[in-house]
Amino acid sequence: MSEPVDEVISVESLNKRFGDLVAVDDISFSVRRGEVFGILGPNGAGKTTTLECIEGLQEPSSGRISVLGTEIARDPNTVKERIGVQLQASAYFDYLTLTEILELFGRFYSRRVPPAELLSTVGLEDKANTTVGKLSGGQQQRFTIAATLVNDPEVVFLDEPTAGLDPQARRNLWDFVQSINSQGRTIVLTTHYMEEAEFLCDRVAIMDQGRIVTLDTPTNLVRSLPVPYEVRASTLNEFSSNGLADLDCVTEVLDDQNQGFRLRSSDAASTMPALMDWVAKNDIKLTHLEVTPANLEDVFLSLTGRALRD
Amino acid sequence: MLLLQLTIANVKMIVRNRQALFWAMAFPLVMVVIFGLIAQDRVSTTTIAVVDYAQDDISRQLIHNLAEVESFDVDVRQDEAVAQDEIADDDLNFLIIIPRDLTSKANRTPPVEIALIYDETTQTSGVILSTVSRFLDQVNLDIAGAPARLVLAPEGILIEEFSFIDFLLPGIAVWGIMSFSVIGVATSIANYREKKILRRMLATPLKVRTFFFAQVLAYLGMALIQASLILGVGGLVYGVPITGNFLVIGLFILLGNLVFLNLGFIVGSYSKSVQAASGLGNLVVLPLLMFSGVFFPPDALPGVLTSVVQFLPLAPMVEAVRGATLEAKGFSDFPLEIGIMALWIALTSLVAVKVFRFQ
Repeated sequence: MSEPVDEVISVESLNKRFGDLVAVDDISFSVRRGEVFGILGPNGAGKTTTLECIEGLQEPSSGRISVLGTEIARDPNTVKERIGVQLQASAYFDYLTLTEILELFGRFYSRRVPPAELLSTVGLEDKANTTVGKLSGGQQQRFTIAATLVNDPEVVFLDEPTAGLDPQARRNLWDFVQSINSQGRTIVLTTHYMEEAEFLCDRVAIMDQGRIVTLDTPTNLVRSLPVPYEVRASTLNEFSSNGLADLDCVTEVLDDQNQGFRLRSSDAASTMPALMDWVAKNDIKLTHLEVTPANLEDVFLSLTGRALRD
Repeated sequence: MLLLQLTIANVKMIVRNRQALFWAMAFPLVMVVIFGLIAQDRVSTTTIAVVDYAQDDISRQLIHNLAEVESFDVDVRQDEAVAQDEIADDDLNFLIIIPRDLTSKANRTPPVEIALIYDETTQTSGVILSTVSRFLDQVNLDIAGAPARLVLAPEGILIEEFSFIDFLLPGIAVWGIMSFSVIGVATSIANYREKKILRRMLATPLKVRTFFFAQVLAYLGMALIQASLILGVGGLVYGVPITGNFLVIGLFILLGNLVFLNLGFIVGSYSKSVQAASGLGNLVVLPLLMFSGVFFPPDALPGVLTSVVQFLPLAPMVEAVRGATLEAKGFSDFPLEIGIMALWIALTSLVAVKVFRFQ
């Protein structure tokens, strides 16, 4: 069976059961060459299991997975040669230096990148002769990303790459992920941070309870929401909210306390001019006005009725 | 070559783990030093006090001849009462009292009594008694002027006498190797699993058997270094006679250690954490250590236990390494031991391959 040229991963009807527990429930999707593909979902949604089935670390209960045109079940080593894998919360040898670890892992592959080059990719060249234990959390995470690149892979899998990092380190890591992607590598990552999915991913599959509930670009996912915008305003003096709910595309007035209001709008581009007219007509002085688009958190909430994180 | 690189990496990791290295190398050496000190305290000569009331030719000859006996240390006393007190207080084990007028009474009947007072609990008393009485027989013959019709022609065969430390040293070396191999492999496997390093390696094209062999090779190399160090110190510092062929000693060590490495993999596979691996490893190692002839020969154990212990993996290895080291014995001297070790290697290999998982 020939794969379309731009499709690096194809997953068809993947199922994974552990006894009675259905971890992955009949999912199908494909990943295109060069994109950053995100799997977003709460803990226990089946993200890691899905990833590990694709990486050849777990055997699917049923379904068919091919990576770079090779079926993983049939020829795992051909696939492993061409992919880079970062595992969730995995560590490396305690008593080897970063250079030694990268050198050793490089030996496992037929194609390898010099350790110094890998370390400079993630800004750890001055740590070449230290051990993993002496690195900060962010540095360790960057090192695990460097380690996924030892074989110059075409596809890189990152499982929760920023879990446990502070916001600064997380932003920093996003830059590395983007730079790896800009080298032409396809990236598949899992996360339960919606900001991360929004910032990094070209397309996002939202998973819940072993199923993919939706899959699209972050922008389209947000746009698909019935009420994708929220408008907030503060006023100088008290006002009457008469007529506010009747403005174009306003679906709901959330809050009309004495010094401000919040609205939901299905289309901010229509609501805003009408709102400005309403403000002028009622002689209301605005001290603050902001329009916030909905995010993937809201998408998840609207699709599952639950919050992404509790 | 990947196997070689992986083995070198393993050796580096083993050597850099200072704490484990201490238990592997320094601790057995400490044991050697301690037992070396205990062994040196043992006195090999027996002190025999003599109170000589006779002070004549015969008594002087008697004392002189007694002193000639190599393992006797003759101590001539003047005061019998003091010597008797020392016997009673266990400060002295043997006291010979030679009565007055030995020469004048020697040819009469009843014969002169020479008293030998000794502590019955002293282990060597039998030897002393027979030596002294044989000695007196000779004196009697001399006095009677009877010509010697039968002469004993003593032909001393030099049987190599091994001291306690000689006996102990090969056992301590083997014990050090066993502990390090079982606990070292078990904890490193548990550690790799706990930190998902095994899983991370499974995501590469690395073959499980390559990883396995590299680990085995690294620990076999370490075992040879351990053996050289411990036997070397024993030989140089305590003069333990290491007469065996190094190649034979080395091969016995490698053979026996394969069992312990397999046990390490098995324990590591069953342990959920490093602590569990260390505990379970000790549980395997300690009984073997107690009963397998490191500190005393397994024959010293009560009945059934002796025959059971002989078939445990440690005893044949200790036996073979001890024989090869001290008595320059070779492979043909230990067919049973080699057979038992081979069986254990086969058995533990099968189990290890079956239970060992990367995940």
